[in-house]
Amino acid sequence: MTFKSKLGGALLAAVMSTTALQGAFAADDTIKIGVLHSLSGTMAISETTLKDVMLMLVAEQNKKGGVLGKKLEAVVVDPASDWPLFAEKARQLISKDKVAAVFGCWTSSSRKSVLPVFEELNSILFYPVQYEGEESSRNIFYTGAAPNQQAIPAVDYLAKEEGVKRWVLAGTDYVYPQTTNKILKAYLMSKGVAESDIMINYTPFGHSDWQTIVSDIKKFGSAGKKTAVVSTINGDANVPFYKELGNQGIKAEDIPVVAFSVGEEELAGLDTKPLVGHLAAWNYFQSVDADVNAEFIKEWKAFTKNDKRVTNDPMEAAYIGFNAWVKAVEAAGTTNTDAVLDSIIGVSVPNLSGGTSTVMPNHHITKPVLIGEIQADGQFDIVQETAPVVGDEWSDYLPDSKNLISDWRKPMSCGNFNVASGKCGGKGS
Amino acid sequence: MMIKFFLRVFFLCVVSALALPSYAQSGAGADPRSLIDALSKADFGEAEKLIGQLAATGDARLVPALNAFSEGDLYFRKSDNLVFIGKSAGSNYELIDPVTGASAGQAAKNAVTKIKINNSLRRVIRSAMGGLTLLSPDRGVRLQAADAVLRSPSAENLELLETAISKETDGEVKARMVEARAVSLLSSDRSVDEKRAAIQTIKNYGGRNAIGILMGASASLDPSLKADVDAAIASIESGQRLWDIGQNVWYGVSLGSVLLLAAIGLAITFGVMGIINMAHGEMVMLGAYSTFVVQQVIRDSAPGLFDWSLAIALPVAFLVTGAVGFVIERGVIRFLYGRPLETLLATWGVSLILQQTIRSIFGPTNQEVGNPSWMSGSFPVGGMTITWNRMWIIAFSLSIFVALLVVMKKSSFGLNMRAVTQNRRMASSMGIKTPWVDAFTFALGSGIAGIAGVALSQIDNVSPNLGQSYIIDSFMVVVFGGVGNLWGTLVGALSLGVLNKFLEPSVGAVLGKILVLVLIILFIQKRPRGLFALKGRAVEA
Amino acid sequence: MISGFVFRALEGRIVAAVGILLAIGILVPALNLLTPPDSALHIPTYVMSLFGKYLCYALLALALDLVWGYCGILSLGHGAFFALGGYAMGMYLMRQIGSRGVYGNPILPDFMVFLNWKELPWFWYGFDWFVFAMVMVLVVPGLLAFVFGWFAFRSRVNGVYLSIITQAMTYALLLAFFRNDMGFGGNNGLTDFKDILGFSVQADGTRAVLFFMSALMLSLCLILASAIVRSKFGKVLVGVRDAESRVRFLGFRVENIKLFTFVVSAMMAGIAGALFVPQVGIINPGEFAPANSIEVVVWTAVGGRGTLIGPIIGAILVNGGKSFFTGAFPEIWLFALGGLFIAVTLFLPKGIVGTIQHGFKARKALKAAAEAEKGRGGTETVAQAQAAE
Repeated sequence: MTFKSKLGGALLAAVMSTTALQGAFAADDTIKIGVLHSLSGTMAISETTLKDVMLMLVAEQNKKGGVLGKKLEAVVVDPASDWPLFAEKARQLISKDKVAAVFGCWTSSSRKSVLPVFEELNSILFYPVQYEGEESSRNIFYTGAAPNQQAIPAVDYLAKEEGVKRWVLAGTDYVYPQTTNKILKAYLMSKGVAESDIMINYTPFGHSDWQTIVSDIKKFGSAGKKTAVVSTINGDANVPFYKELGNQGIKAEDIPVVAFSVGEEELAGLDTKPLVGHLAAWNYFQSVDADVNAEFIKEWKAFTKNDKRVTNDPMEAAYIGFNAWVKAVEAAGTTNTDAVLDSIIGVSVPNLSGGTSTVMPNHHITKPVLIGEIQADGQFDIVQETAPVVGDEWSDYLPDSKNLISDWRKPMSCGNFNVASGKCGGKGS
Repeated sequence: MMIKFFLRVFFLCVVSALALPSYAQSGAGADPRSLIDALSKADFGEAEKLIGQLAATGDARLVPALNAFSEGDLYFRKSDNLVFIGKSAGSNYELIDPVTGASAGQAAKNAVTKIKINNSLRRVIRSAMGGLTLLSPDRGVRLQAADAVLRSPSAENLELLETAISKETDGEVKARMVEARAVSLLSSDRSVDEKRAAIQTIKNYGGRNAIGILMGASASLDPSLKADVDAAIASIESGQRLWDIGQNVWYGVSLGSVLLLAAIGLAITFGVMGIINMAHGEMVMLGAYSTFVVQQVIRDSAPGLFDWSLAIALPVAFLVTGAVGFVIERGVIRFLYGRPLETLLATWGVSLILQQTIRSIFGPTNQEVGNPSWMSGSFPVGGMTITWNRMWIIAFSLSIFVALLVVMKKSSFGLNMRAVTQNRRMASSMGIKTPWVDAFTFALGSGIAGIAGVALSQIDNVSPNLGQSYIIDSFMVVVFGGVGNLWGTLVGALSLGVLNKFLEPSVGAVLGKILVLVLIILFIQKRPRGLFALKGRAVEA
Repeated sequence: MISGFVFRALEGRIVAAVGILLAIGILVPALNLLTPPDSALHIPTYVMSLFGKYLCYALLALALDLVWGYCGILSLGHGAFFALGGYAMGMYLMRQIGSRGVYGNPILPDFMVFLNWKELPWFWYGFDWFVFAMVMVLVVPGLLAFVFGWFAFRSRVNGVYLSIITQAMTYALLLAFFRNDMGFGGNNGLTDFKDILGFSVQADGTRAVLFFMSALMLSLCLILASAIVRSKFGKVLVGVRDAESRVRFLGFRVENIKLFTFVVSAMMAGIAGALFVPQVGIINPGEFAPANSIEVVVWTAVGGRGTLIGPIIGAILVNGGKSFFTGAFPEIWLFALGGLFIAVTLFLPKGIVGTIQHGFKARKALKAAAEAEKGRGGTETVAQAQAAE
């Protein structure tokens, strides 16, 4: 009997492995793409929307006849906001489901977790979220904003239009805010801002008690110089932060807050009346006045069967990434990774702000930067729009990355080429 | 081009009869209607100049137009570039003449364009409106006007302020105007002596803002005044220091009250009943979602009741979460008495299911729960700022605590409850229906978690993850205070709150939280049963 | 004496389990490496690394079972020891990247370069040396467990209080490791590993060896745990679990017994973490999350605590289920997982293995009782049956 119990265990394990082994045998007339977004856990709040967008885009594309005459099929998995699970699921999508490309990830940790998998198995990931830069992989396309496509134009706007002289850089204590703030600090100091006029503050994830920090900001702001807050506060912590700002009576006219992680989706959980005038910098707002955007919003509301659903920037990034992939596949005539990697560079597709976005050799894309002010209805009023900016993967404001460039075209094919030493591979010399 | 336009306006227009001669300067005589219409083509810089000219007309009829502009309700008609105040009316806008306030018919939404506004324009408008309304017959409007001028002082308002002060009869408004005058005076070209007096005035009002004003002004002031400014700042700061400590205590108490709210339901299910209730956080979340649903219903059917939404949500949340708690107890937990560590597993499973249920029904994103007007904003107490929502939450959590204490100590249900938890078999022999007491005790704990959720929905996200962010803190509070003791939970919550807030300014929020956790661990070593340990033999079991 | 110690461990059930584990440890990599990809017997690399992960989790569950199932300490912080072991291995792997990082800095890992660190923090020294790193895999979790346990057990913190402060410990570590200033890569953690002992971590051969090592370490730890449990010390351990005061009154130093077990268990968890990291390719503070530690408790409970085989089966089963459901039914897998926990606690309070054993024992006791009617010695057989557990 004792042996039987073990046998049972072994049998179960064997069953597990065979269920894992029966790879879905892909029908020949479909092309599979993977959707790798958390549907449960802490990140579900942001990522579920992107899964829905991908399903919508796939459905739309199939209505248009699919790609290369074949129907697209989305394989959805749930990495459950668990970073090692991201790597496992990526491996599963690529090796078992044989997907042609994967659209997914939100946090940098999840991207870092899957990056070696994509490089090892030579597949393609489209990453649709703004991030801290300092990365360029042969197998990843970064369709969200790099810091120069979001943070720097926002700071320029505040300095020019609002005459801001004193800066609070407030963020959640993790890599994206740390890097962005480092870049911003270097940038501001290069523009002649004194170190004593910059206050940097970090809080834990999901921080909900903002009383002290908001009153510190108030204190810092009462030094007679125009003060602004540059917020890289992440996700859930924003709602209590803005509520506290509103309640302590910090109006946008006195101390404006410009945020890089607050979009329509986050504001949907907030009464925005006390926040009117606070800013956000993105590459897309739902309020963009363009026909292609109106069309997209209509489709989205129809697809989700919910008239109140909003659109946001990562959705646009997913849209651009998907269309760029479709165009590249059609140009290459195959979904083969190497062929697509070659054909996608230089591909231009319409973005939702009425222009076009081009995939650059550094695997980032060109996008205009929009600065918007929060409105009472939870939308943004666009107060400034720049010409398209090329995403800068290696920031010019960090000492170790300013000499690096990335160009994945042959013959260079290098993600970290050092222009000072003329060699690929970081320092070179 | 613009200048030409203004010149034309200047010559063509009739002088406004209402304009005050004392400060009608460059824009005197400009027709406000044409100035407003010019906004349709102005960029932000030009709009700023136009607002200055509008203010200079001194025409109080312009206040609604300026107000509409700052709220983003000013539109121009595409066909003729005329500017109107627009009010949304179905798929159309109702257009209102910006000067006369007369209705100008309706226009389709795509026939008009919103005039863009940004923060710096809003500031200019605020100051302009302050100037225009300083002489209003309405006391409240004058007070607002004085505040507005105080917040965006400009030397141009100085003479007007002086006129207003001389006519003012209301003490509070006058005081505010005097302060505003002092502030405006610093940036004017008045004499050094007058400025010195102004610095004294500002010093006497004190507060954080005064420091900001003085520091801001010091650069442009006459060097001989520098000593005065520094002395004034130093004096305000020393007065402020004590208030800062008081403010910090307040923050701590307020954080403590949130912890108390989160933990108090757990003090019953975990503290009294001994169930390691990992689904406690989800009960809080269900309470918050009940609030959301109640508000949704009110918004749709009876918007007038919105300020009462929380009062209505309280019993709803209590009943909903109480009922869910009852079902959980009858369905799962009653089989697990005497196996506390296994309740952890089962309730963990329950919490996963509840989270996913809510996620399936409401979606994973945050839901908007509005603050009723009486929970918004803040009021000053000396040098401290007290926000209304924190204030109510403290009052609310303390009253729940008292109510619970009364139920436990004074009601027969409370007696039964204590009897059952202290000695189940004896209680049963005395004729107490122990299974029902268990079920209702758990329902009570869950219900209280639910009403805590109503309060927490006011300060935090309402999302399926809401409960997860409180569960660990709640356990820490109960364990720190001493399991089975409500007073322990109260003292534990408040002391952890205050401790956290005193650590935060010196070491930062992240390290502060880590230190509090380490201190709890060390404290448990010293007093293994928490702050208020139950004494006696029952403890050993 | 040592041989006796080990010999006692090798009771039939354990031998069989070790046999199966080692067979899996050899067979799976062999099928992966030696069969062509289109063969029916071929095991794809991704399945192998998935199972490698399960084996690491199984080892973690075994470590928890040792303290919970046999010593009555419900640790809600075992994920912390696992993560610390993982970080020790991760630091070694980071140092092995050398100048192949994106910035080409031969000393500093990438995350330090772009956050402008000028030199390597002192606690990173030595980690470029494999042996040192492996020692640290044991020492760091062991030391933390020792310090923590020394205080906690001496103060007689037990039961729920102990569980909650272990949770506080892992939560505090989670927050600390999230901080970039700590020098462990913040929330991105350590990733993008290149090679281990000169072999590429992505090569199938390396993966196969790592898989085998996982199976081997699990087997060794199983034997060690079995040896501990079956020794005289193990009897005292169970005594501590069931009646702590009585054992103390008998003159045993309960705190030392607990401390020893806790430290051994923490080291096992550290080994599990160290094997986990090269196989999944990332270690980050998420591993410290209190929810992860609770999940470990769940695996153990599902499999059956107080049985050494149970937690291994539980860990493999629950994680297998998780892998399957998150792929097949991403929307409803939390319902399935939550339902499983409730069902197991309600209907299988002893866990899967515990219940099977129990059923077996009951039958045996029944048989014995029937025999006792015929002859004598019924009670003795029941006692033997119980001793055999």
